[in-house]
Amino acid sequence: MLKQEALKKKRLNKVGDFFMEYLVLMAIVALVIVTAIVEPRFLTANNFRNIMGQFGPLSFTALGMTFIILGGFIDLSLPGMISLIAMITLSLFDVIGEVPAMIFGMALGVFLGAFNGTLLVRVGATTQAKALFITFGMSQIYGAISQLITGGHPISRLFIEHPAPITQNLSSGTIGDIFGFSSFLDSIPITFIVFLFFLAILFIFQKKTVLGRSINYTGGNFLAAELGGIPTKRIMVMIYSICGFMVAIGAIAAFSRTPVAAPEIIGANYERDSIMAVVVGGTSLTGGRGNVLRTVLGVSLIILLSNCMNLMQINSHLQEVFRGAVLVTAIWLDHRRHANA
Amino acid sequence: MDKSDIILSINGINKSFPGVKALSDASMEVRKGTVHGVVGENGAGKSTLMKILSGIHTKDSGTIVFDGETIEHTTPIQSIRRGLSIIYQEFNLVNTLTVGENIFLGRFKEMKGLRNSHKEARKLLDSIGSTIDTHSLVSDLSAAEKQMVEITKALSFDSKLIIMDEPSSSLTADELKRLFVIIDDLRKKGVTMIYISHKLDEIFQLCDIVTVMRDGFIVDTKLINDLTRNDMIAMMIGREIENEWPERPRCAGETLMEVQNIRTRKLKDISFELKKGEILGFVGLVGAGRTEIVRAIYGADRAKDLKIMINDKLLKIRKPADGKRSGIGLLPEDRKLEGLVLSFSVKDNITMSSLNNIAKFGFVNTSLENDIADRQIKALSIKTPTPHTKTKTLSGGNQQKCIMGRWLELNPDILILDEPTRGIDVGTKYEIYLLMKEIVENGGSIIIISSELPEVLAMSNRVLTICEGRITGEFNPEETSAHDIMDAAIGGGD
Repeated sequence: MLKQEALKKKRLNKVGDFFMEYLVLMAIVALVIVTAIVEPRFLTANNFRNIMGQFGPLSFTALGMTFIILGGFIDLSLPGMISLIAMITLSLFDVIGEVPAMIFGMALGVFLGAFNGTLLVRVGATTQAKALFITFGMSQIYGAISQLITGGHPISRLFIEHPAPITQNLSSGTIGDIFGFSSFLDSIPITFIVFLFFLAILFIFQKKTVLGRSINYTGGNFLAAELGGIPTKRIMVMIYSICGFMVAIGAIAAFSRTPVAAPEIIGANYERDSIMAVVVGGTSLTGGRGNVLRTVLGVSLIILLSNCMNLMQINSHLQEVFRGAVLVTAIWLDHRRHANA
Repeated sequence: MDKSDIILSINGINKSFPGVKALSDASMEVRKGTVHGVVGENGAGKSTLMKILSGIHTKDSGTIVFDGETIEHTTPIQSIRRGLSIIYQEFNLVNTLTVGENIFLGRFKEMKGLRNSHKEARKLLDSIGSTIDTHSLVSDLSAAEKQMVEITKALSFDSKLIIMDEPSSSLTADELKRLFVIIDDLRKKGVTMIYISHKLDEIFQLCDIVTVMRDGFIVDTKLINDLTRNDMIAMMIGREIENEWPERPRCAGETLMEVQNIRTRKLKDISFELKKGEILGFVGLVGAGRTEIVRAIYGADRAKDLKIMINDKLLKIRKPADGKRSGIGLLPEDRKLEGLVLSFSVKDNITMSSLNNIAKFGFVNTSLENDIADRQIKALSIKTPTPHTKTKTLSGGNQQKCIMGRWLELNPDILILDEPTRGIDVGTKYEIYLLMKEIVENGGSIIIISSELPEVLAMSNRVLTICEGRITGEFNPEETSAHDIMDAAIGGGD
């Protein structure tokens, strides 16, 4: 009798675990169904194209943030970094050409990320809380440098004389524009393909390589990883560098889709939205557990949520309320999962 | 003995923590107006007993009668209000507040304001002959002064019983003398004190009655005049030795590692050598610096001027990864905090340190990874449902085996075991001893740190005693008595 009850309880727990594990997926499905019923425009090809197009800057920065949070840290320097990288890269377009400028921008991203990581190691900030304040400070510094360089003036792509085909393609191009198949594939945005490319590389890196696996150990228990001979400090610098690189890609995607890039606006809120995408996706804020695929789910949920709310013409302030509620719920669920695990 | 003479009487207290029995049927009585010493090795149960009295831990069974009142459940604040105060080794003061504020913390209303609090604090401090300004910040005080503040705080609650846990550990000789005067004074005023210390000299100088604890049992309570120092040490360490350990391995050969000049804030000029195939034991009290020595060798702590030579080759070890690469392994003191990633699987915890060895171009070979896990689970007979079970669900002994397996897979030349059997059941302990034997028989060397003296003495080929950051002696445990080694570890009786 008792045993049966125990078994039943165990089975219930399993159902619960499954539910918890795939909660985001279910939320996405539920969202799609509800919106499709309420708003028929949702299920049109046009809207799907629109949604794919939304996998823009945020999806890149969120992939980068996944590694930071997986390693048990956090990075609030995104707004400043994006601003600095975007403005410098754009300024270089007319000086050294588009491709070299973009490569420089990516290198700058890696450098700024590595700088963040090294700074944390040097000051002995091996906890998330310390990383939070230090990277917050770094964001102010990067943002201010960006303002200094541009004199606070926005840069308009329309005034760039040098041809910039890649930027053009990233902003609105589709597969059809380049290869010209005449099929459904034609309408897939280039940014979405770039996103899938980085997703695949980062996924394999995290799951299969020694360094990728070491991030999980570092986030799971920093002290144990360190005493187990994992070079935790190098891992810290590495995850911030990866994040820096993805932030640079995000910055390029960000200035590609706006005709005028203003230093104080271009990076705004990316730290918040990236952390939200990662945590909503189910990567644990305490580190060690999660992966980039989860982040894709998180990003999808955020994009779909915006799309649905826009279609339903929900007041923008109310939209913020919902977004905040989703983040709080995600953190609460993460805490519960952690307590149960 | 008159019953009204007893201020505290405990009877048949039992307390278990997961995997360990911390107190077994502990009974003692404390007489009013005495200084009652409590001695015992680390892990004997002294602190657990005191924490039950103060309400931090809850007893599993047994009765406590304090000042004629039976106490079932209590919390720290209730205990203090009842008149039972504890002064811990690491003080319980708010550094950023003043002395007066600390003494009457949370009671400003009862005291009718801050000014009155300071006035009362002054009176109390005067009563124990202390001149500390009640307006100075606690962070500016010396350890001795903080202790005075703690004592004053206890007195401000009209404490009938004050428990002092290792009060002398941070005091200089002069400060200690003053503390003794104050304790003596309080005794004359009728305050009862329980004095916990490792330092037997202090016990003999100060206490009227002594209770000796060992392995969670109370061995005996005796008048100090009826005891000699030797009796007391015998009671502290004297457990029956009956096949608890395998036969001592004898494989020590040439010198393998030479350690020179470990100097840190805590360690003073530590130099020693380790032979190939040797089991070297470090004996000392908790806080003597044993763990700090091995951490420095492994690269977990930085130490200036440290020179490590293995096979006459000078090594640069700056971080644990260097230590690992140099053929050193460390099983850390606290397996949950520093050893395991508890939310990760048995497999992940075992393969953690060997991923580099099974990778090609940086990619981990997953099937080799599973092989490692299976091999170590089998070799160490780790009891786990599957290799993918989370380590947090395993028993302490099996958790420890996971970390052992992690290192055995790397087959290090030197394996450092810091408290390898703490909180582990007897059967698994024996398995770990056998493993140690196997390691040295295969040419490895071991440094073992343990607070269980008999364990170190039975397994080691050589023992170094460490006291207050210095090596105070080197012994062959087969030729020297446990008593003499213990004596050297607690700073020498002479």
